[in-house]
Amino acid sequence: MHPITYFQSSMLGLLQGVSELFPVSSLGHTVILPKLVGWNIHQNASYFLSFLVALHLATALVLLAFFWKDWVRIIKGLGRSLRDREIGADPDAKLGWLLIVGTIPAGILGLTLQDYLRKLFASPEYASIFLALNGLVLFGAEMLRRRAPQTEGDDDTRIARTVGWWQTFTVGAAQAIALIPGFSRSGASIGGGLLVGLSHKDAARFAFLLATPIILAAAVLKLPQLAGSQGNGVRGPALVGALCAAVSAYLAVRFLMRYFETRTLTPFAVYCLCAGTAAAIYFAV
Amino acid sequence: MPYRKQLVALAVVLGIALVAIAVVYWVEPARSLPSFFPGHEAGSSHHHVKHGIAAVLVGLACFAFAWFNTGPKKRSA
Repeated sequence: MHPITYFQSSMLGLLQGVSELFPVSSLGHTVILPKLVGWNIHQNASYFLSFLVALHLATALVLLAFFWKDWVRIIKGLGRSLRDREIGADPDAKLGWLLIVGTIPAGILGLTLQDYLRKLFASPEYASIFLALNGLVLFGAEMLRRRAPQTEGDDDTRIARTVGWWQTFTVGAAQAIALIPGFSRSGASIGGGLLVGLSHKDAARFAFLLATPIILAAAVLKLPQLAGSQGNGVRGPALVGALCAAVSAYLAVRFLMRYFETRTLTPFAVYCLCAGTAAAIYFAV
Repeated sequence: MPYRKQLVALAVVLGIALVAIAVVYWVEPARSLPSFFPGHEAGSSHHHVKHGIAAVLVGLACFAFAWFNTGPKKRSA
């Protein structure tokens, strides 16, 4: 018998695809949901971590495919800047280096702290409290955000002009808060983007571009777990979960890119605050 | 030596050191790491692959900094 059933893997896949991109903490939901519905899944068991690798890989590949044309432009820009040994006024090169500078702190913090923080806080009780706090973070970002200047030009050019080196480093480092179940990576980076003066749409775009290499690298790095003995018994459910995660991630990113053209983080903040508080009370009584 | 050149030299030295540290992390088990390295653990045969990746990432960033700061200077109009 599989330690995770196909039904459970489908549900967790659908949830992961949506919650990884919505600013509501995928890790927090993956920790809280099984406990809420009474599934006997051990969050720190090696089979569950291997299962999560497949879901993350699927989400990252969907993000990569969705922004494929942007990535091609960015990589060409990076190549031009390396050849000319200057970034200059090339927006694609600037955006590429902004993403690299933002990825370095997130990558280093993730590599060094991930296992420690996950073991420390991977309980539904902690996750629900942190989910409520994530709501407050999103509220805070909305309250403190700078008004984005109305400028012409395409999305990537606007982002490259608005975001500075130190700002991208800070926004990248802020993503590391998502190592704590309940806090959202996209919430931290969209909130950070708003604080540095990006519009909601540009902040979401920047957050998704920034998230892609991190999620992809984390998944690829742990892929041997899934292929090795730790993946025994979960490869089938992991494949089904990954397919579900891919479908829901595609729908989520499409929805969010349209949603943030006109709307704000406030509904997600309300959801996190209410759901986190309700779950914390439920687990406490 | 001008301040900018000093920074570039420092970045190159730091980059080489970090790549070397990454290799040490990949090759040596935790018990054989120098005691001042994060991750040193007496008796452990675990290889700190992730620490090595982190070191190499920062090393590459140092090289990139040096690369851009040693490029041909633009003439001002």
